[in-house]
Amino acid sequence: MLASSLSNALSEIRRKIGKEKVLTEPEDLYAYSLDASTEHKTPPSAVVRAYSEDDVRVVLEVANKRKVPVVPRGSGTSLTGASVPAVPNSILLDLSPMNGIEVCIEDGYVMAEAGATVLQVDQECRKYGFFFPPDPASSRIATIGGALAENAGGLRGAKFGVMKNWVLAMEVIVPGGKKIRIGEPVYKWRWGPDLLSLFIGSEGTLGVITRAWLKIHPLPEKVVRVLGLFDRIENAGKAISEIRRRGYVPMILELLDRETIEIVREVLGYDVPLGEAMVIADIDGPEEAVWRIVKEVRKAMEESGGETTASDDPEEMEQLYLARQGAYAAVTRAYPGVLLEDITVPLSKLMIALRELDKLRKEYGLRMPIFGHAGDGNLHPNICFDPEDPEQVRKAREMFLKTGKLAIELGGAISGEHGIGISKKDLFLEEIKAVRGEGYIELVTQIKELLDPNGIMNPGKLWF
Amino acid sequence: MSTTAVPQIVRFAAENTRDVGDVLGIGPDQRVKWARGLLPRGPVNGTIFYAGEMYPVMGNAEGAFRLMRRLEGFMNINTLAKAGPIMKKLGIYTTGAKALWGGINEEYERALQDAVFVLKKLGVEMGYLFEDEPPSGVALHTYGLLREFKEHAKGVHEKLKEMGVRRIIALDPIVATAFKLYYPEFVEGWEIESYHFVEVVAKKIAEQGLKLKLGRKVKITYHDPCYLARTIGVVDEIRFIISRIEGVEYIEPPRHGVNTGCSGDGGLELTQPPLARKISYERIEELRETGADLVYTSCPACMMMLRTGFDSLNYKIGVYDLASLIAEAMRNEIDRVDPMKPEFKRYNVLPKSPKPKSLSLEDLAEMLRRDTDKCKKCGFCNVECPTANALDMLESRSARGRMTLINSLVRGDPVRPKEVLDRLYSCVLCGQCSQICPVGLHVQELIIYGRAYAIYSGRAGVPS
Repeated sequence: MLASSLSNALSEIRRKIGKEKVLTEPEDLYAYSLDASTEHKTPPSAVVRAYSEDDVRVVLEVANKRKVPVVPRGSGTSLTGASVPAVPNSILLDLSPMNGIEVCIEDGYVMAEAGATVLQVDQECRKYGFFFPPDPASSRIATIGGALAENAGGLRGAKFGVMKNWVLAMEVIVPGGKKIRIGEPVYKWRWGPDLLSLFIGSEGTLGVITRAWLKIHPLPEKVVRVLGLFDRIENAGKAISEIRRRGYVPMILELLDRETIEIVREVLGYDVPLGEAMVIADIDGPEEAVWRIVKEVRKAMEESGGETTASDDPEEMEQLYLARQGAYAAVTRAYPGVLLEDITVPLSKLMIALRELDKLRKEYGLRMPIFGHAGDGNLHPNICFDPEDPEQVRKAREMFLKTGKLAIELGGAISGEHGIGISKKDLFLEEIKAVRGEGYIELVTQIKELLDPNGIMNPGKLWF
Repeated sequence: MSTTAVPQIVRFAAENTRDVGDVLGIGPDQRVKWARGLLPRGPVNGTIFYAGEMYPVMGNAEGAFRLMRRLEGFMNINTLAKAGPIMKKLGIYTTGAKALWGGINEEYERALQDAVFVLKKLGVEMGYLFEDEPPSGVALHTYGLLREFKEHAKGVHEKLKEMGVRRIIALDPIVATAFKLYYPEFVEGWEIESYHFVEVVAKKIAEQGLKLKLGRKVKITYHDPCYLARTIGVVDEIRFIISRIEGVEYIEPPRHGVNTGCSGDGGLELTQPPLARKISYERIEELRETGADLVYTSCPACMMMLRTGFDSLNYKIGVYDLASLIAEAMRNEIDRVDPMKPEFKRYNVLPKSPKPKSLSLEDLAEMLRRDTDKCKKCGFCNVECPTANALDMLESRSARGRMTLINSLVRGDPVRPKEVLDRLYSCVLCGQCSQICPVGLHVQELIIYGRAYAIYSGRAGVPS
């Protein structure tokens, strides 16, 4: 792309939406040069702050005409580099100023603009006795647009799934500036092929999601938190599989291994019990039924070799929740370098995955605390290393790749919720190859070319 | 000052601090007027009441701040600051400035007088240094002029020692913070004890078993200044004192104690007044919604921002120093209850301060690189950051963006120190970012050190 194309594009955008929305000072650009992946540092050549759908339309119209790359960004919390440029001379489209939220209880939805955070959406719903179930750990800052583009999940995924399970309708602007409205904010609609899933998880490579109508759920009447402690991590895996096999679907079904528990205790000072592994299960339901299910879940854990306790005391429950929620923070405090994995395996293979990960950790001699939303087979091994030590950096990289390959071998996926971005491109292609997905690549490439013939949308992500 | 990156207003403020002791350049004659006949000259049993360089001139500062609002759109603060030295040269600064600023509000001087009245009534033996009171120079620290601050603090220490000062009671929480935290860090052998006014008053009221009667019924709320609550952890004393005043109905604002919100000062009121004002409005709405008739606080800068903000928004709610409420009640009636030995919790919510080996550029860069490398870009700090929120999450003027920019600056990316400094000066130093940082970075102190690096790098910009 010629520098003159960029310059002409910026002049046209400034003229159409106002120069104050277009930033080109190097200090503004460098501030946007990183996201939570922290390893892909490329400043954009300009930042456009979108305050309205029209601002987005103008950017995609002009950028398409001038063939200038556009990187959509919510609040830049991608863990795989999806929200920073992978190529030079890009325009970064900052959607965080578009943050309107409207709750419609009667019709059972919340409408949110792309820049509203997941937590803001949830909090608005809670004012009316409802909530928005997907809860990525970054929900307090992660935006709805970003969470949809990444198809994010979270702790409550065990029961409520991921973002795509909660979308009724969306508006998307595609290159050229056309708006596509997909679906209606009703619980049933027929519109021919469902294009919602085409854009959800597409990581900004097909268009820009500007707003979405999302389903909401009544707040549970009662929640009881069950804690299971295990002297072998495989047994914790077994307990999780067993709970699900027996037909129980806890709202949260989380796993923490010994290294994670130790770090949480040391770094955050939380007084949580120590064991080889811990399973946290949140059982929700009507008051009269919840304790019966708690009993069954405890039984499943105990028969898998665990010791259990259960509590509905808000303070005790909070302590455990904070321990799990703060696990990644604790690991990052304890180690200057952390590669965060995000694999998913079939629940029946959870025990094998945990055993193999333990072998890997011993083979390389690096610490690798593991926690995750094991209830849906999603594990987050944290490969810890010293970034100043080249040998450790090499080992960590190898472990990262081997962990991904393990997921593929076990019939799982290299990413459960963090996406592919830049960081997982190679592993992603391996996964596609392993499941003989050449046809998939061809089809999606054709769709990409159809929607984005000039290849302006978030180039360098996925395989584009 | 030979530094090239420092904006005119900070240069003016720093030169005034160096030459006459306060940022406005008003000088000791006026600064001590409030105290005539109230206290003996010199320490009593080693103890002094310390007025500092803000309270006595805050009435003038309020006038200047109101003037800036009227001039907005015509003249920015740095242009106005150029007039200061010229007026000084012509010998018309004090009278000219007074004429421009309008009537001086004496509420701040009254706060000092009331504080002295309260302390004396409680039997605290102390003196005042009058013209000999050395200004703390905390503004130099705030604006990142750390070498100048170090030098200044050394002189202050020598002077205080020479006069036999062993204990300081300060009404201004910013200078109390300086003497409690910054002086021990910057001055070798600092052994002078320092207390904030409310620490002493709460202890005495409890020990003497006092119950005060206001003699009227008032509905009040209290704005915790960030330096007092979050930085030095003084929270419970204030609630205790208020609970001992009959006639007061106290309403806690939603954000209070160590989780207090920002009223837009922290130095921003001087460097970027329009942004400071915008930030103050959010806090003002929050305080107004408590339904209180009066707002109390314990910081001259917070008081100024709240007073001017309430006026701008046409809310008829008075803002006063807590010392004035206590004094009013003490002047009315004092009852006795059982004495008690108080134990007030000292909150410690901030991470460990960063420590460069020295203030040399190399050592500053080494510490800043190491610490800002730890930032995982999770963005949790931005959720709380008052400037990010006031500017629709503009990254370059957010807590996370500032960490990225400091890292870029010390790593030699093509960013200009002057422009980086401008973005670092947009921070209010409230510390909410440090409190929430999962990695444990003391974000606001890194910002102060980042300011120092930008200043001492000796460059306004880098060649393009």
